Amino acid sequence: MFKEKLKYAFYTIAHPMDGFYEIRHRGRGSVPLAILFVFLFGICFSANRQYAGFVVNFVNPMAINSFAEVLSVFVLFMLFCVGNWSITCLMNGEGRLKDIVTVTGYAMLPMIFTFVIGIILSRFVVADEEAFYYLLLGLGIAWFALLVITGIMTVHNYTFGKTLLTMIFTFVAMLIIIFLATLLFSLIGQVVSFFMSVYNELMLRV
Amino acid sequence: MRKRINRIVKAASAAAFAFALCASDLSVQTAFAGQNVPYETYTYDYYEDIKYTPAAYIPDGALTGAKIGCGDFLSPQDLNTDEDGNVYVADTGNSRVVVLDSSMKLVRVIDSFDNGGTEDHFSSPQGVYKSMSGNLYIADSGKNRVVELDGDDKLVQIIENPQSDVLAEGYVFTPLKVAVDYADRVYVIAQNQFEGIMAFDEAGQFIGFTGTIKVQISPWQIFWRRFSTREQRARQQLFIPTEFTGMEIDEDGFVYATNVDSEGQQSVRRLNPSGEDVIQQTSVPLSGDLDWRLSGAYSGASRIVDVAVRNQGIYSILDSSRGRIFTYDHEGNLLYIFGGMGSQEGTFTTPVAIDTIGEQVLVLDSNKNLIDLFKPTAYGSLINQAVGLRYDGDEVQAVECWKEVLKLDSNFELAYTGIGKSYLAAGDNKEAMRCFKIGNNKQYYSIAWKRYRNEILKDHLNAILTLVIVLAVLIVVWNKVLKKKVLLRRGERRVSHV
Repeated sequence: MFKEKLKYAFYTIAHPMDGFYEIRHRGRGSVPLAILFVFLFGICFSANRQYAGFVVNFVNPMAINSFAEVLSVFVLFMLFCVGNWSITCLMNGEGRLKDIVTVTGYAMLPMIFTFVIGIILSRFVVADEEAFYYLLLGLGIAWFALLVITGIMTVHNYTFGKTLLTMIFTFVAMLIIIFLATLLFSLIGQVVSFFMSVYNELMLRV
Repeated sequence: MRKRINRIVKAASAAAFAFALCASDLSVQTAFAGQNVPYETYTYDYYEDIKYTPAAYIPDGALTGAKIGCGDFLSPQDLNTDEDGNVYVADTGNSRVVVLDSSMKLVRVIDSFDNGGTEDHFSSPQGVYKSMSGNLYIADSGKNRVVELDGDDKLVQIIENPQSDVLAEGYVFTPLKVAVDYADRVYVIAQNQFEGIMAFDEAGQFIGFTGTIKVQISPWQIFWRRFSTREQRARQQLFIPTEFTGMEIDEDGFVYATNVDSEGQQSVRRLNPSGEDVIQQTSVPLSGDLDWRLSGAYSGASRIVDVAVRNQGIYSILDSSRGRIFTYDHEGNLLYIFGGMGSQEGTFTTPVAIDTIGEQVLVLDSNKNLIDLFKPTAYGSLINQAVGLRYDGDEVQAVECWKEVLKLDSNFELAYTGIGKSYLAAGDNKEAMRCFKIGNNKQYYSIAWKRYRNEILKDHLNAILTLVIVLAVLIVVWNKVLKKKVLLRRGERRVSHV
């Protein structure tokens, strides 16, 4: 079962139109697998910051925090999925949250490979050859973008133009979610500090 | 079992924590051990983080006018030294020029000169410069003129009231700073003159402007201007280039000039005779501090007010906002930082001018009315020496100095690069790579790595080729075996069908 799903993920990144259609309508995708891909990409992303060769690595090793980096990849992924879901619900999208998660997770699969190969390659390149490294990473990212757009287009049964429009709205939705979350946290903080001060007042004065 | 592991982990982490505490304690002690300097000494590393260093320069006394024996200075604005180490101080408030020798003894006080038979006095002179030909130039700001005196204080000429089409009608020439190159061309920084440094020929004729700083308007500012009304626009500040603040001329006749850059991008320029900036810089801005507070006391980018050109391409710039002196080599690498604000000896309240005699640094403080002297420590001296040797092309000797520097400060990145270069020249590419990596020099690391890579390839060519052939053969064989298996299986199936 797992093997079959995994094989299908690889089929999907090579044939996104058919692949994502079957994921939407014949249940051939897997959410746990998608989340696994996101997790793996998070690890590769962090590994790239730490282990990329000295010539192409401009990251301060003191500033690397693998946990925070994997987590931030996850948070961005969740934000995108929820944002896209909330927008497409309003814009006659046919996809379910499950499909959006699967599409985004599967789209990260090529980047996992380009980042790993990139790390290995970067340890051999010198100054003039770093273009190959950046080309490889760029290819991975372009592939990812292409897969996400095709995937979102297919699962929601959108036209290309409408997909781009929903993408823009999705980013706006992500910003709104972040704004609301910040607001919520600061309000909770204030409520907590209010009750804390009431408690302190009672304990110290009564 | 699990409990035991837990206990071991706990003990280990406690030990690590204790060790970390000890280590941090030690590092604090070593950073400040034996340094009784009233300021912080630090540098910026490759990642633009502050790294504390030993002091490169320490205070070496302060000279008031009374101590020199000419009566206290009053708000002095400029200080200049010549090749023999004589010091010229523009004592603005007292309208005189004080001359000291290299051991800081009073030579003479110039407060008047013979102007065509009548005795003429200065009025608030703000700049002074001793030319290579031995004449003294005084920017006599209060009387809107530059006075040139020869070695015996006899008047040579007076530069005043420049005439040119490029100058606005009714332009009042108020010189603030003056500098003179080997051909006796006179460069003047004048008040409210935003077009650049004014250049005069040896006869005192105005030639033109040099080193004009281009105004840069950010897209953001354009955006806001578009949305503001005419009244608002009229009240906004004008986009005018920053004024130059100080200058000095190097041996080749190039003008080093400082300016105030509130963005902290470039505060020192090296102008060639046609007025273009030819200063060498790395990706790091040549503008003093890289980090600063955005508001409150001592906030904003460094306000660079003067530059001292030193031997072998080294130059120091003076920051009046935080009283720091930043020293760079000819490639624009930051070497060391010292100085600070305060009332102790060796700190400033209003530093206005800097110059050097050999390795000694002199800073003029116009509010405390004194000259602060600084002398190099072993650390500072070694850096000066190493940079000088490298400038002269003697990299082998420089390496010995760099090694000594590293004994005093193992964070000094430039030293690792210097040592790495010598390994690279000697053909020890692996060791060179190690040094360049610590020194964070990607350019040279790349060169060393390329050579090392070729070395490995050359040494192991046979092994690599053999491996490739073996792999190719293995793949071919494997494919054949697989095919046979598949065929066999199909054959079995056929048999079973029958």
